[in-house]
Amino acid sequence: MSPSKEPVRILAPTSFRETLSRRALLQVGAGSVGLAALLAACGSDKKTSSGSTATTTATGGSTAGSTAGSTAASSADSTAGTTGSVSGYSEVVNKSSGTLAMYTWGDYNDPSIVGDLAQTDLGVTMKVDYYTSNEDLITKLSTANGSSGFDVVVPTGPYIPQMIQKGLLQKFDKSKLPNIVNVDPLYLAQDWDTTNDYSVCKDWGSTGYMWDSTKIKHDITSWTDFITAATGEASGNVSVLDTGANILGMYCWANGIDWNTEKKEELDAAEKFLVDTFAAHLKAFDSYPSTKIAEGAYTLSMVWNGDARAAYARIADAGGNPDDWKWALGSPNTELWMDNYCIAAGSPNPDAAHAWINWLLTPEISIKDLQYHGYNSGMKGMPDLIAKLAPDLTHGDMIFFSDDQVKTMRTQKITSSQDRIADIYNKIKAKAGG
Amino acid sequence: MTASVVPPKRGRLRAPKFLLAGPSIIWYVLFFVAPIAFIVYYSFGAKDSTKLVPVNMSSLSFSNYHEAFSATFFTTFKATIKVALTATLLTVVIGFPVAYFLAFKVQEKWRAILLALVIVPSFTSFLIRTVAWRIPLAQNGTLSKWLQDWGVIGGPISLLETRTAVQIAIVYNYLGFMILPLFVALDRIEPVLREASKDLGAGRFATFMRVTLPLAGPGIAAGVLLTFIPMCGDYVTATVLGGAKGNMIGALIDSEFKGAQNWPLGAAIAVMMILAVLLLLGIGAALIGVVRYVLRRRRRVTLDAGATA
Repeated sequence: MSPSKEPVRILAPTSFRETLSRRALLQVGAGSVGLAALLAACGSDKKTSSGSTATTTATGGSTAGSTAGSTAASSADSTAGTTGSVSGYSEVVNKSSGTLAMYTWGDYNDPSIVGDLAQTDLGVTMKVDYYTSNEDLITKLSTANGSSGFDVVVPTGPYIPQMIQKGLLQKFDKSKLPNIVNVDPLYLAQDWDTTNDYSVCKDWGSTGYMWDSTKIKHDITSWTDFITAATGEASGNVSVLDTGANILGMYCWANGIDWNTEKKEELDAAEKFLVDTFAAHLKAFDSYPSTKIAEGAYTLSMVWNGDARAAYARIADAGGNPDDWKWALGSPNTELWMDNYCIAAGSPNPDAAHAWINWLLTPEISIKDLQYHGYNSGMKGMPDLIAKLAPDLTHGDMIFFSDDQVKTMRTQKITSSQDRIADIYNKIKAKAGG
Repeated sequence: MTASVVPPKRGRLRAPKFLLAGPSIIWYVLFFVAPIAFIVYYSFGAKDSTKLVPVNMSSLSFSNYHEAFSATFFTTFKATIKVALTATLLTVVIGFPVAYFLAFKVQEKWRAILLALVIVPSFTSFLIRTVAWRIPLAQNGTLSKWLQDWGVIGGPISLLETRTAVQIAIVYNYLGFMILPLFVALDRIEPVLREASKDLGAGRFATFMRVTLPLAGPGIAAGVLLTFIPMCGDYVTATVLGGAKGNMIGALIDSEFKGAQNWPLGAAIAVMMILAVLLLLGIGAALIGVVRYVLRRRRRVTLDAGATA
């Protein structure tokens, strides 16, 4: 040991004794700054590309004649320009202020509606966080016990009663929601909240399948076909929605069983098939497969209709051929779900929450949002509204379903089978990974 | 006169030494002991979705453990341990030469910069680092297309959504946590010891095996603990890159808490996981102890008491 190296009792590499100088620290610091700048650049790149996806979708519905390069803002202008042509709707827009925090599903609102447009039209600054399941939402709100800081939440219908019972939601002040009259009565007064004291329809949708027709040569017209393809030519390249209920639904609908079944023998049979036969063929549990469909990760996907519609834009965006992909609504039966705007108990800014929800119930904003997320937002007189406000809407058949189709749709119920379904689902996941 | 009473007084006024640990004790009790205690407590309760915290504690039982002790748990547990063990082994194998190079071979002036480079990936959030993998590795991604155009690969890259992807990414995510303790341990080995070994006739290999490696032992142990334990609980890597094939125990616990709202069962699985990891570490430590004992016995040189030099 050289005499210059006095043993220093410090928990650091010895080399730092010599090099722990101001200059060295600055060097490391500069390195991190450079990295941060690089990351920021990557981040903005990604933002731009996802922004352009949004533009494609948004301009798809803007009035004819608007150029392909128009931004979301200009498409908003063109929508606003047609305001006068919609009559017979309540158009109250209440100004508010402050910050509005929303907890919702991923990519579920037009970015301007939760961004600059909310700022200009309402004077409200939006802050949005995302969850991936209703249970996730309930867990977050329950553990925070009224101090989650969220104003607006977007649960699916059947979960609302337990949220009311647990005191996670607060009653609407209906005098602040005059535009609720714009909602088609068909979508009001649902089983879970017959008086709409706590919830109002955001939008509703269903479940179907999307497949790469270059790899799967025959059409998929039923859940039975889906299962055949998934265990056949698509094996290993299949994604299903990341919810136990939907996977059980697939089995039940293919076999003519009620997907809300509580019968032990039916659930046993479902478990046997799903765990022992089906699970090994899966590639992923993915509730939003559109991005990965564009990446080329799947050949066959169980998918919600709005996300399937978004997939077409994303495939084109990624340089693929959208015509290779086909979509069909689940058959002979499939799901019907409805997501709802609610105000969380303990909301820090209920005034802004009411103002924002009410604003979303004006036809212009509702249809603008619809063009983005691709789900029926439940306004009355929808065909006329689309003709006037969004004549260029793409893939409208994936948003609006015929009466015959709606008749085949079934709503989920929260039954005594919840634990059993969760158990089966975990077994499927374990088996798929093993 | 009075001067003689000063020293004991000063001693009595001094605050107890353990107060230095006070802040960290408070921190650990509040944010580690209390939450874990709740997890253990809840694991004996029953699910009750009507309550805000969906656990009924009126009758305590082991039924959640019975339920958790299932094929589902063991399949997922086995997969998790396999990934974590393989990854730990790989981080040692990959990390050791790097740490050795940094400690013994590199010029002093470069060392700080190279060490900083090891830490640089940690400046980015774990999640972003992992998600970023998806971009180049996508099947229809740029890299995949280039490699196919150049004829390097026959078909598109199909790495994502596999256990291999999780395995590679987890090694990458934790490599730094292995290199740093290894480096610190190696760096503390005084060069004189290695020189002495050479002077006494040991070759490079013998010096490494009998001097460097044993002295680096605590560093290896620290590195293994710092990587293996978090890997067992890793949730992000498997969720982001693993798809259906990369399921790990963290996701199972998550699905019980959030998906099924079955907190007691999720808590029981979590407790079993903690115990299982502790057990594995115990077995590992015991094995190492046995190996060291055997080696020491074999290498023991008995000095004859009556022998003269």
